[in-house]
Amino acid sequence: MGIRLHKEPKLEKPDMIACWPGIGNIGVIAIDTLMGQIRAEELGEIEPWDFFYPRKVIIKAGVLEDLEFPSNKFYYKRLARKDLIFFIGEEQPTDGGRMYAEGRKAYQMANLVLDVAERFGCQRVYTSGAAVALTHHALKPRVWAVTSRDDLIKEVKSYDNTILMSEIEGRGDQGSITGLNGLLLGLAKKRGFESICLMGEIPDYLSGAPFPYPRASKSVLEVLTNFLGIEIDYGALDEMAVQIDDIIDSIYEKLPSEIRERIEQRKSIVQTKPEAITEADEKWIKEHIDELFKKGGKGDERPS
Amino acid sequence: MKDPLKFSWQPELQSSSLVVGWSVDAGKLGAKVTDYLNRKLGGQSFCEIEPVEFFTLGGVTIEDDLVQFPESKFYSCPGKNLVVFRSAPPSYEWYKFLTLILDTAEHYCHVKEIHTIGGMVSLSAHTAPRELLGTFNSPELKKALSHYNLAEGLDYETPPGQRPTLNSFLLWAAKRRNIPGVNLWVPIPFYLVAVGDPKAQRRVLEFFNQRFDLGIDFSDLDEEIRQQNQIIAEVRNGFPDIDESIRRLESNLRLSEEESQGLVKEIEKLLKEKTG
Repeated sequence: MGIRLHKEPKLEKPDMIACWPGIGNIGVIAIDTLMGQIRAEELGEIEPWDFFYPRKVIIKAGVLEDLEFPSNKFYYKRLARKDLIFFIGEEQPTDGGRMYAEGRKAYQMANLVLDVAERFGCQRVYTSGAAVALTHHALKPRVWAVTSRDDLIKEVKSYDNTILMSEIEGRGDQGSITGLNGLLLGLAKKRGFESICLMGEIPDYLSGAPFPYPRASKSVLEVLTNFLGIEIDYGALDEMAVQIDDIIDSIYEKLPSEIRERIEQRKSIVQTKPEAITEADEKWIKEHIDELFKKGGKGDERPS
Repeated sequence: MKDPLKFSWQPELQSSSLVVGWSVDAGKLGAKVTDYLNRKLGGQSFCEIEPVEFFTLGGVTIEDDLVQFPESKFYSCPGKNLVVFRSAPPSYEWYKFLTLILDTAEHYCHVKEIHTIGGMVSLSAHTAPRELLGTFNSPELKKALSHYNLAEGLDYETPPGQRPTLNSFLLWAAKRRNIPGVNLWVPIPFYLVAVGDPKAQRRVLEFFNQRFDLGIDFSDLDEEIRQQNQIIAEVRNGFPDIDESIRRLESNLRLSEEESQGLVKEIEKLLKEKTG
């Protein structure tokens, strides 16, 4: 079980940004976009075979050429203001087919990621994911933030469109972040890193949809680039958001009017006290989302 | 944690070969072939892998009124320089499990070559000859086995939604240690998948007999093949629709799902009745 680094660049107190797939792939798309824009270079990887069953065998003329596993790669970039190390895991290691990692494997992987952070002298670790919220898809997704220290809360609050989990109506001071995006945060705190999780809002009725939610990725990225003091071009994300908006609109039109009306009310009251869709509404949407998606006439344009 | 490898004794082996069969594959081919080898060659268990960590141990499964418990055992066949590993496929920690197999093979048995067995579901009729397909982890082994009449030119990539077999994972792990290996696959007619296919077993066993110079007499297996063929012939005589379905398979024609299910149901029922 190990880490393979392809190079040992000299980095000046870098921050680490780590992410695994989750609802709407919000964090992964945000980080992918950032890495593409700043042209991050591959640094190394975590050997995957201890964590994952292979997903593809390639046999040519009877000879086994390769076995492919989900990738777990580190990247880096030297920047004028802040050097960065990235980690993107293609899958969360699970036992028994669960979507999110938990238990020993997750703990081992999170520790390996932090081993690399430690090796390069990182002080701060960011993770990112989704915040399933009682919001509307026409509203700009806010970014929920949690941190490992009080002084970071002040920093987080200074950025636009950011809200602390404790400020979300109806949540009290409680909350949880499932899977490795959450676990890494806790483990980073335990090992003495500053840690911050930025979660982009996704409407509850889209949380089971089989497509990404780039509007939330953009919100996350706006906050993250503020933290890092860098500017990027959001053109590709905006383009993806337009395509996804079309798909969402076509699904939304097909929702029963009573559900749609309840969701519409959120447009005016989302910042105060939004009404949750009922359990029955939620059940209906979950049962019909694939069907709605197919009927949306965009079946061939489904983004991967 | 306790050592997951539990040795009862240690055989003295040099440049041996390892045969691996899993208890779950089409026609239970891996289990039947390894059981047959152990029975014929007097294979004696010398090591087992403890199931904790690798299997769901929340109870036991029952099959044909018999309690099933995951076993993973190594057998040594006296005088044949052959090691047989027969196991249930692990549910967790696959790489660690495969590493234990390879550690035992490499460090305790000095294995020079690995052979895995796998049954695959086929849409062909039982009257068709059984092909033996080989996929290798080294071109050298492929060349060395070229005169064994294996179908060996396969191009394959795991289709989306499926995943590689444990045999492929093992072969890949063996390649990382420079241990040559071959996966031996036999297509098994879909209506024999649950009841077993002695003709497929014989095809693999013939290969081992020749490769390792085992001198096995297959008359018992030939009798089993004859009996199975006879029972299916009787079914064909008594059930014109079954006969028609098999006839179409013999002509390389596809059956509808309903026809396939009917064929499986009748053949399984009668073979189980008549062979106990």
